[in-house]
Amino acid sequence: MTETPAIHDQAAADAGMRARRRKFWRNNQGPLLAVLSISLSLVFWQVASTFWFDPFLVPPPSVVARAAWPMIQSGEIFNDVWISMTRVLVGFISGSAVAIVVGVLIGRIKVLHHLLDPVIELLRYLSPTAMIPIAVIWFGIGEMSKYFLIFWGTLFIVLVNTVAGVWRTPIARQRAAECMGVNRFEIFFLIVIPSATPYIVTGMRVAMASSFMSIIPAEILAADSGIGYLLQKSSMLLQTDKIFVALITICVLGFMTDRVFRLLVDKTLSRFTSSTSI
Amino acid sequence: MLEVRNLRKVYGEEPGGYVALEGISIDIAAGEFLCLLGPSGCGKSTLLNILAGFEEVSAGSVMFDGRPVKGADRDRMMFFQDAGSALLPWLTVEENVRFALRARRVPRSQWDDIITRYLSMVDLNNHRTKFPAELSGGMRQRLQIARALAVEPRVLLMDEPFAALDAMIRRRMHAILTDIWQRSGQTIVFVTHDIAEAIALADRIAIMSVGPCSSFMKIMDVKGARPRDMGDPASSAMFAEIERLLTPEIRRSEERLG
Ligand SMILES: Nc1ncnc2c1ncn2[C@@H]1O[C@H](COP(=O)(O)OP(=O)(O)OP(=O)(O)O)[C@@H](O)[C@H]1O
Ligand SMILES: [Mg+2]
Repeated sequence: MTETPAIHDQAAADAGMRARRRKFWRNNQGPLLAVLSISLSLVFWQVASTFWFDPFLVPPPSVVARAAWPMIQSGEIFNDVWISMTRVLVGFISGSAVAIVVGVLIGRIKVLHHLLDPVIELLRYLSPTAMIPIAVIWFGIGEMSKYFLIFWGTLFIVLVNTVAGVWRTPIARQRAAECMGVNRFEIFFLIVIPSATPYIVTGMRVAMASSFMSIIPAEILAADSGIGYLLQKSSMLLQTDKIFVALITICVLGFMTDRVFRLLVDKTLSRFTSSTSI
Repeated sequence: MLEVRNLRKVYGEEPGGYVALEGISIDIAAGEFLCLLGPSGCGKSTLLNILAGFEEVSAGSVMFDGRPVKGADRDRMMFFQDAGSALLPWLTVEENVRFALRARRVPRSQWDDIITRYLSMVDLNNHRTKFPAELSGGMRQRLQIARALAVEPRVLLMDEPFAALDAMIRRRMHAILTDIWQRSGQTIVFVTHDIAEAIALADRIAIMSVGPCSSFMKIMDVKGARPRDMGDPASSAMFAEIERLLTPEIRRSEERLG
């Protein structure tokens, strides 16, 4: 008689707890699974390199962490990160700026399109990697050659997307503005560029990722600093643990830069990027 | 005010291209309410685009106030069939209307009044801060109507503006449009494929045949004071007559589609 309510309370409390847990799970499913995904991969990697692979060829995470620690403490790795990042950003920003201006003009001016498109269509198959040898001769192994290579890679990606964005501006949108007395020059800035913004941003995201891919070969072949150079140097010295530190650094760096870029876009351009698809 | 003479419109190269319109002639008087009525694909939007100045004629002429139409101008405001792409998706409901007022150089002090008046008219005043993507299809059409009316153009070219609205709102929009038109003396060219809508609104109805080489089969005067009731004998007689004209046309277009 006296026990029944207690059991009852206990059951209710359990049910409440279960409900709370379910709610927590529902609300945080994405992040929780992301943490799980990374942790499981690390565990798998640790087990695999301990029991299956030669730990020299595939050093386990624990060894990589041990190699990374002094590099972090001395600031050596940050130095390389900083150098590579600067190269990527300078090339990326200048490349995007030129690509947007030229792309918008090509998209609007037919003669310019016919004049430049054949050249662009040919040149865009020259990846930054293909341009490394000539860049070294033109600019040496200093910063300029790296800026150029990233600029080169960014230029064509953003350019092609910008032109596409300009072309896909709904004709009705421009015509509606014409009816209101907006002149051609204003239509360019008030209608066409905002309409093309989602395409430009997409192009820039792709270009950003590709910049991270191209900076590495550029630094491997033609630099004495940066993450790519760290890779190259570690490879010569057969320091596989340091190679893995460099590889992981590239992953983290690329990921973080993309997130920061998206955050900036969301903060400043969300009007243009989120509501455009009706 | 708008004079169309022997208009011909071909899409593509002249021999072999698609002849959308052929031998279209009509005089549209200032202050007139003209409806263009015809089966889907007959060239109503094409004709409206030509009147607006967006498309060039292949032959014939279009004159506005005695001058040939060359490009769009601010006297002729178009309401587009596809409201989604005509609105500016990065601006809110009220900003879309404000954009038009600013472009028209309407004095800033009047903006708030005008925006409130026209948004209330189309029942969107409670949705002022929403973006077009957050509106239903019918709401987007109503926003475009508010925007087109707010700039008070001399000529309104409307391409099926009420097509996505339910019957109730549609009747109200008819009353509003008639009211605005009667008070403002605007000229309206109104495209529809709804016979009853044409009879309810128009001074004249131009009935178009199916393409290719679509032209006016008949231009009918609509008599009777507004609001017009579909139940009264004159209206229902007219409805029947137009239906008789259009039914074989629609059958022809269906046959062509296979
Ligand atoms: N840009 C274009 N290029 C080629 N053909 C076109 C073009 N625009 C329209 N047409 C053709 O012209 C004809 C008339 O089209 P239009 O859009 O004017 O029809 P509509 O009467 O407005 O039809 P709906 O009632 O369905 O809107 C159609 O056969 C269409 O295929
Ligand atoms: Mg149409």
